[in-house]
Amino acid sequence: MTPIDRAFRLARWGGVVTGAALLGVAGVYVRALVYTPVERFQGPAQKIFYIHVPSAWGALLGFAVTGVLSILYLWVKDRRIDIAAAASAEVGVALSVVLLTTGPIWGKPIWGTWWTWDARLTSTLFLFLLFVGYLVMRGVVVDPGLRSRFSAVIGVMGLVLIPFIHLTVYMFRTLHPAPIVLKPSKPSLPGEMLVTLLTSVAVFTVVYLGFLTQRYALGLIRDLREREAAGDA
Amino acid sequence: MTPDNGAFMVAGYVVAAVILIVYALSLFVRVQGARKR
Repeated sequence: MTPIDRAFRLARWGGVVTGAALLGVAGVYVRALVYTPVERFQGPAQKIFYIHVPSAWGALLGFAVTGVLSILYLWVKDRRIDIAAAASAEVGVALSVVLLTTGPIWGKPIWGTWWTWDARLTSTLFLFLLFVGYLVMRGVVVDPGLRSRFSAVIGVMGLVLIPFIHLTVYMFRTLHPAPIVLKPSKPSLPGEMLVTLLTSVAVFTVVYLGFLTQRYALGLIRDLREREAAGDA
Repeated sequence: MTPDNGAFMVAGYVVAAVILIVYALSLFVRVQGARKR
């Protein structure tokens, strides 16, 4: 089996995981919409939380993995690490789109506005734009060595932003709610809602893994083809 | 009284599903495109 065949097999497995994960998302929808109680003060719009928080988790996981792989790349200079970092960044951007669209849809009925330039929202938007820039840069820098090095530097910058984003709700006066699960004390959420949220977080982790596997395999295929064409595969 | 904002809930879930499906399809199409080359 050639390396390209192995990459296609990996892409197929990624597709299977993605398919299973999307079925899991459908299951989360049923659990959240039908079996999880409506929050008394926020009403049905509060249920957006079961998609918004897991997509935030998936996006930040994607960017954090990119950051860690970027450090690793700068250390060992293995192009497969760079390909994996780029794959994780793209998945992070896709999940950020879910995050940045579901947030305002929740914000409008609860806050009375689609968007406010507070620290949490603004820093999340900056992180998203940083990684959009990362992907655009990868598309325009032709030299593979330079592309990988520039990408790794941006990836590390993104990684540094992540803990800051988590802490913004403590450091600044913001409209955004403080964490109700990822905090030093016990989660402040009724049992049924907590189970739905944690199930959704688990499912979105599998979504991330499925997308990542497919995107990584695609990156490998492109890299192998490019090197084949250049005659050094 | 519990507010009546179910339309926002539906919009949020529909938008999220569309984004996830579009990205999943884009990956599928790109892999299939690479296979044909």
